[in-house]
Amino acid sequence: MKRHLNLTVNSEPRQILVEPYYSLLDMLRDELHLTGTKKGCDEGDCGACTVLLNGVPVTSCLVLAHSAHDAEVTTVEGLATREGLHPVQQAFAEYGGLQCGFCTPGLIMSAVGLLEKNFDPTEEEVRYAIGGNLCRCTGYTKVVQAIMAAAEQARP
Amino acid sequence: MTTAFTTVGTPVARAEGPDKVSGQTLYTADVDLPGMLWGKVLRSPFPHARIVNIDVSRAQEAPGVRAALTGRDIPPALVGRLLRDCPVLARDRVRFVGEKVAAVAADNPEAAQEALLLIDVEYEELPAVFDASEAMQASAPSLHPDIESYVGLPQPPSPMNNVFAHNRWGKGEVEQGFRESDRVFEHTFSAQLMHQGYIEPHACVVRVDDSGRVEMWVNNKAPFNLRSQLSAVWDIPENRITLHPISIGGDFGGKGSFMDTPLCYYLAIHSGRPVKMVMDYLQELMAANPRHPADIALKTGVKNDGTLLAREASVVFNSGAYGAFKPRVYLGGADHLGGAYQVPHVSIDSYMVYTNNVPCGHMRAPAKPQVHFAVESHMDMIAAELGLDPYEFRLRNVIRQGDETPTGGSWEEVRAEETIRRAAQASGWGQPKDRPNAGRGMAISDQPPGAGQSEASVAIDAEGKVEIRMALWDTGTGAHTMLRQVVAEELTVPVDDVRFTVQNTDAVAFDSGSGGSRVTYTAGQTALGAARDLKAKLVQQAAGLYETEKEYVTLQGGTFVIEGTPAQTVPITEVTARVISEPGNAIIGEMTYSATNSPVTSYCTQVAEVEVDPETGQVRVEKIVTVHDVGAIINPMTHQGQIEGGVIQGMGYALMEELVAEEGRISNLTLGDYKIPTMPDIPKLETVLLEPSTGPAPFQSKGIGESSNVPVAGAIANAVYDAVGARVTSLPITPEKVLRAIRERESNKP
Repeated sequence: MKRHLNLTVNSEPRQILVEPYYSLLDMLRDELHLTGTKKGCDEGDCGACTVLLNGVPVTSCLVLAHSAHDAEVTTVEGLATREGLHPVQQAFAEYGGLQCGFCTPGLIMSAVGLLEKNFDPTEEEVRYAIGGNLCRCTGYTKVVQAIMAAAEQARP
Repeated sequence: MTTAFTTVGTPVARAEGPDKVSGQTLYTADVDLPGMLWGKVLRSPFPHARIVNIDVSRAQEAPGVRAALTGRDIPPALVGRLLRDCPVLARDRVRFVGEKVAAVAADNPEAAQEALLLIDVEYEELPAVFDASEAMQASAPSLHPDIESYVGLPQPPSPMNNVFAHNRWGKGEVEQGFRESDRVFEHTFSAQLMHQGYIEPHACVVRVDDSGRVEMWVNNKAPFNLRSQLSAVWDIPENRITLHPISIGGDFGGKGSFMDTPLCYYLAIHSGRPVKMVMDYLQELMAANPRHPADIALKTGVKNDGTLLAREASVVFNSGAYGAFKPRVYLGGADHLGGAYQVPHVSIDSYMVYTNNVPCGHMRAPAKPQVHFAVESHMDMIAAELGLDPYEFRLRNVIRQGDETPTGGSWEEVRAEETIRRAAQASGWGQPKDRPNAGRGMAISDQPPGAGQSEASVAIDAEGKVEIRMALWDTGTGAHTMLRQVVAEELTVPVDDVRFTVQNTDAVAFDSGSGGSRVTYTAGQTALGAARDLKAKLVQQAAGLYETEKEYVTLQGGTFVIEGTPAQTVPITEVTARVISEPGNAIIGEMTYSATNSPVTSYCTQVAEVEVDPETGQVRVEKIVTVHDVGAIINPMTHQGQIEGGVIQGMGYALMEELVAEEGRISNLTLGDYKIPTMPDIPKLETVLLEPSTGPAPFQSKGIGESSNVPVAGAIANAVYDAVGARVTSLPITPEKVLRAIRERESNKP
């Protein structure tokens, strides 16, 4: 039986009817049609479904939609502003931090989650922050370069 | 010779980047059509069994279910990329754990999944065979008794049991070579079952309209080939099938197969609705089309001074239950068993063998990672026996300009030796290591740019904006950006003024698609040809406007220079604005191109530096030096991206990735258990690119997609030996195997 769920997605308050067994990932993709968040393994191993839940990166396939009641969710669609792409998005595009792009939304959300609490990370901290995101195309080198460049640009 | 380029050689960021980083790019699983159903399949739990009975009646009546099918509900035609030996749904027999036996389409994925639980299947287990060498014995069960009726079977068929392709390469008289040798060495190697590891699982969406026209969205990189495979199995004309372009979430050779598409069509027909099928990752790891396991035997004759004289090699590929997932039936890379060396007498045999395992397909440089792991390990083992430095041993034998290849062919501009020397230099070969249990290992391979067919048009509008139109899907390599650079260079316009539009399969006659390090060459020359055609038309128009002959008009820096006294300069946009009067009109250049085999290949030598923990056998890769014999580089950023991704994939192959099958049942069915490299595994990477040489692709460039993943496993295996004297001859090089090899070495000490 579908139940009401109140939450904020990308700064927009939403009230929706969702099955109790739906994951946050399925709710975002199938109910809200926010397909930027990707389903890779659906078991918490690949990180492609990473979103921010109250500012913290989570694998949305492992979070029940209803456990996000009253919470604030940010997906890759919610990062850009009227002024343009988020610095992390910009850097991924500019530095070749993406190839096929399928793991990219998850990697970007992990990076944004890091930079929101640590705007001056070391390379080691960046490597640690994306340790749970699988990327098969890039070999990660350019991903780290992109995040370091974004941190540099975003620094106040 | 250096040529001044404007756009070629610059790290242009890919045009699709902003859409990919903001979640706007559509992948197959994101396609949503009105009334669309979800399709799911029931798979065999047995490696070899007769299907006695299937009952889908309970599933058919389940809530939300619109179709439930068995093999009896669809025509019996077999499907395949070339060899057609694979049923769309099993009829009487299943041949691997994970084979599709029934399918449902329902209103939502949960209803489809639940309906699968209501399907009753009665099996009668049959004797199974899992080892390829066993399967070749006459006593083994014959898995395809009707093999001779299969379309696409190589002729003449092999007389050996379960062998569906036997290929031979070689030259000289190998027995004579062994007689003339001072020493003969024999070693055997094995390589594992590996998944391509793209993060996006296989998916398809099929819609059939009332007139029987089929529209599809599939993450398949060779849509024209897929269309012809589907036309054959569905028995409908190709022109009734349209594949729409879609972004592909990683390929590495795995996304060339039909996978669920033949079945999805029947679900759409039977339900009267569009149907989407998305494999979950468990199914990916159980039943997609992974890289072939291989058993390789090498016998090599050498002179005492280390000169190679003869090589006899055989490779047995455990191809699994079907041969349908390979575009050539056999794996072309098997012909590399002579290595990148000058060997006068060579004999190579390759066998493709049916077993009751998951059917295997293509993965990045098919067969070469297996082959070069064996060849390069073997080289170091021989060097150790002869007391030679592995680097010196390679230098003595490496193929040079004018040498015949081990299979009797030849390449122009052979720069193998230079890659070896530069790799030694960059890695500090021969210098003392800075810590105990550290080692260096070297390996070399080559990968020529692949040939194929393609078709392009390049249009310019009144404002001078250029559009490339091709039916080429991007698998993530950045192909479209590379092609924009090629066209911008030829037309002397800014790359930002050139956009790429991906067409569907109705737009052109054929395109080979992505793969085989082919795109820069084949698609590149096609786009370049269309740009040249357009340029010629523009020059003609400019000459007409300024009342001169085209011989007196050249295009430089976006401007026509018209000879005369005085010479005139006219921007392209002035010509296009004057000639193209109707808005929306354009001047269009066209090209249909069929590439011939490249006269040059591309060598890659790598040196891995490892540290081995002698207590645990754990191998830590500290650094990999990768040296590439390149042509001109069109986009240094995407070029380097291919190198880095390939090296890390090779490292995963070398050390950690294996689909572990026990009696045909794969036991590591999650990405938590099937480990691919993550950020903490990444070593230092140093890339050395030789001075650009010639290549068959535009502006003397070459392909780069496959080469860097090939030598890694051999280099790491040799580095482990150098570090602790432990020789591991089977991939992956796990701590258990290293520890066992260390103990064996210690127990063999006098």
